Amino acid sequence: MEKKDFKKITDYLWEIPKSFRSDMKVPVRVYVTEKMLGESFRDRSLGQLVNVATLPGIVNYGLAMPDMHEGYGFPIGGVAAMDMKTGVISPGGVGYDINCGMRLLKSDYLEKDIKPHLEKLATEIQNEVPSGLGKGRKIKIDVQSINRILESGAKRLVEQGYGEKEDLENCESNGQLPQADTSCVSERAKDRGRDQVGTLGSGNHFLEVQKVGEIFDEEVAKTFGLFKDQVVIMIHTGSRGLGHQIATDYIRIMMQAMPKYNIRLPDRELAACPINSPEGKKYFSAMNCGANYAWANRQMIAHFIRKAWQNTLGEKASHLISLYDVAHNIAKIEKHLVKGKDMEVCLHRKGATRAFPPGHPEIPEKYCSVGQPVLIPGSMGTASYVLVGQKEGEGAFYSTCHGAGRMMSRHAAIRRFPGDEVVRDLKAKGILVKCRSFRGIAEEAPLAYKDVDEVVEVVHQAGLSKKVAKLVPLAVIKGE
Amino acid sequence: MRKYEILEHKADLKIRAFGKGKEEVFLNMLLAMTESQRPEIKEKEKITRKVNVKATDLSALLVGFLSEALYLSQTNREVYSEVTFKKFSDTEIEGELTGQRVERFGEEIKAVTWHSLDILQKEDGVWQATVLFDV
Repeated sequence: MEKKDFKKITDYLWEIPKSFRSDMKVPVRVYVTEKMLGESFRDRSLGQLVNVATLPGIVNYGLAMPDMHEGYGFPIGGVAAMDMKTGVISPGGVGYDINCGMRLLKSDYLEKDIKPHLEKLATEIQNEVPSGLGKGRKIKIDVQSINRILESGAKRLVEQGYGEKEDLENCESNGQLPQADTSCVSERAKDRGRDQVGTLGSGNHFLEVQKVGEIFDEEVAKTFGLFKDQVVIMIHTGSRGLGHQIATDYIRIMMQAMPKYNIRLPDRELAACPINSPEGKKYFSAMNCGANYAWANRQMIAHFIRKAWQNTLGEKASHLISLYDVAHNIAKIEKHLVKGKDMEVCLHRKGATRAFPPGHPEIPEKYCSVGQPVLIPGSMGTASYVLVGQKEGEGAFYSTCHGAGRMMSRHAAIRRFPGDEVVRDLKAKGILVKCRSFRGIAEEAPLAYKDVDEVVEVVHQAGLSKKVAKLVPLAVIKGE
Repeated sequence: MRKYEILEHKADLKIRAFGKGKEEVFLNMLLAMTESQRPEIKEKEKITRKVNVKATDLSALLVGFLSEALYLSQTNREVYSEVTFKKFSDTEIEGELTGQRVERFGEEIKAVTWHSLDILQKEDGVWQATVLFDV
């Protein structure tokens, strides 16, 4: 594949026509600058996107966001909408970490008020939030309780006192997808989830204490309750072992079932079955369970952070309020415009974030006039962003980027950036790092990622989502 | 002969393992998965777990075997570095894993993927398998 295979649609959108490969069912479109397009030939992400365009029932375009990079099957940063009647659902189009996503908690403290307590706050958060890699809390939830979490998601935890009603209002799908059938989730998946509610995991998952460094849109920021120098806390994690096992189980099930439906695909990892087939329906129900588990996980972590917040600042410290919680690995049934008509589609977002425009019925009433909040984490030590969904995002099924996007392998990062140096550099920039191992820090070194500012600029300019605020890290916590 | 090597991959963990036979390449890939989780081990006591896996072909069998070991590893907080096979064909395994309890994992492997999956015998007779792990 070369640049000449692309048609320039705008400065930020490039298309490979359907004629590029005979098995493509739709063209593919990539939201990048010309410079980024040149760089994207370095890995196999564009070839993977062309493979996505061969999936049965795909409508309009196979899409990739500017933070795209090579994944397995689907590229990370990929978006694909399937016709509910003729289309397929693919566990690979969601990813192993079902409902990996972001939550942002806002305080009414200013940076200067928190500064003297920052070290203690970061230590308290690290102590309260287990990574799940060590012995952790040794609490195993019984099967009954796991089923309730899979059915009710974050709502279940709020009912048990681990949060407030407002947390649910300010959460994608109110933290609970209704089409969750626990009988579609294997005992093995439930086993893996029994001691992981409220655990962060490893890799690129993190907690960050941040300050609002810059406001781009005063009106929207006011609606979101954001102001300059405000202290906020970001959570990045997903459905942990339970979600990974659901994906593992259903990729195998679908691979075995595909011949029955005459589905042949260029990559086994794309394994998919018709949405209306028994296998497709069961995966969708299981995936919804996984998504609910992830929302419960982020709810529990928010509860632990609130505890750490009070431990540090005292009982009377004003409360941390959830601004929003949004997934970036998920498949959902949504209505979108296809060939001029409203159509129900199964929308796969793998490393892409939903970004609904103002007035959309699925966003909280308080944000309805401005649009859905979008939370974009930067790489460790760099800025993160709060964006807002736009009407112009229609062409991308109201989807936007999900982060900076990796540029360098973990292995190469470890070789190039000794962990202690990374921590020292971050410290020099005034950023505190709480981690157990330097290795995990080296893997996530900022230079191993694309420039998040550049990625966000593309989605802003392309109209997929508008910049509201830039968040600057004060402390990075990788979990105990 | 090296047991395994880590290959370059942008976001995940790609491993190539070698073996004189199919059984050995399965064992060395298991070993690579175990070592990649960077386990902290205190108790030296050996633990054994039964594994029975069926699949449609050899590469699917490798994914099934590793996924089973990963599930056992994460739910029991153990890692396995030995395996004895009572039965080994291209579509079925019956065997026993031997390992130890883990205090803490340094890295978490989320899943064994099918992407770039490959198992073959090279011209020099050595078996070689490539697996991408989601981390």
